[in-house]
Amino acid sequence: MTTTAPGTNAVFAEEYDVPIPYMQRTRDYYIALGYDNPYRWASFTEVPFTPLRTPLGRARVGLITTAAPYQPGAGDQGPGAPYNAAAKFYQVYSVPTDSVPDLRISHVGYDRLHTSAADINTYLPLTRMREATAAGRIGALAPRLHGAPTNRSHRATEADAAELLRRCREDGVDAVVLVPS
Amino acid sequence: MSLVARHIEADGIPTVIMGCAKDIVEHCGVPRFLFSDFPLGNSAGRPFDIESQAQTLELALRVLETAPAARTTVQSPQRWSADASWKRDYNNLTKLTPEKIAERRKEFDVVKSVARAKREGT
Repeated sequence: MTTTAPGTNAVFAEEYDVPIPYMQRTRDYYIALGYDNPYRWASFTEVPFTPLRTPLGRARVGLITTAAPYQPGAGDQGPGAPYNAAAKFYQVYSVPTDSVPDLRISHVGYDRLHTSAADINTYLPLTRMREATAAGRIGALAPRLHGAPTNRSHRATEADAAELLRRCREDGVDAVVLVPS
Repeated sequence: MSLVARHIEADGIPTVIMGCAKDIVEHCGVPRFLFSDFPLGNSAGRPFDIESQAQTLELALRVLETAPAARTTVQSPQRWSADASWKRDYNNLTKLTPEKIAERRKEFDVVKSVARAKREGT
């Protein structure tokens, strides 16, 4: 059914055509599955903010991903693979950015019904960032990108965050792009 | 990932998150967020669509440059498909039979034990 706003040609969106309420869906889902201790997502009233001081065309930019290095022997990690907990990682890792590493997302809950993770560029914008650097839009890429473990306790995530910051400082970056998948 | 962005930003390095889970990222509270209303797994653009990916990155870079304050979210104008019915599916219980729910429970118990073994072995 299509409905237009009165006096205009503007079409109202369908009621469900809004960003998916993942927290509610996930809570309801796991309660229905029989887990009675629902996950609590972190939330803060204060949010830090640092303006970008270096023009992007002169800035060195870092990249952080939740994708996992491909692990031979750890089961199906290919396009559309079922959720694969054996492919998870629990330590921050770093790999050079001068070539595209083999990183996968079979270890996270992406939407397997409507997408398949067949194209690394949908979850790792490294090639697009290299092109933007070649075009002068970005001054330079950091020499390595960093991997952040997922599904962690808040305490473990804090330790990972400190380690990721330390590595970004080592890289001398002026800004960081973070891409959860 | 939101916690990582906050930690890095608090130390004086500006950050931008590219993602598809609007409620989760905004619930945490992050400095800058480029939201793509796509199925989870496509934070950096549509598969095999270089133009979509380049536009998504460009928007994220502009958010990095121009956000006036923390909690800036920009939504990409790109649409996954003209028909939005894909949004009804993700972990949607009303679409699952009791048998299917029991099956998912079993699968998840396996996933949890595999993850625990891996974590403890690391």
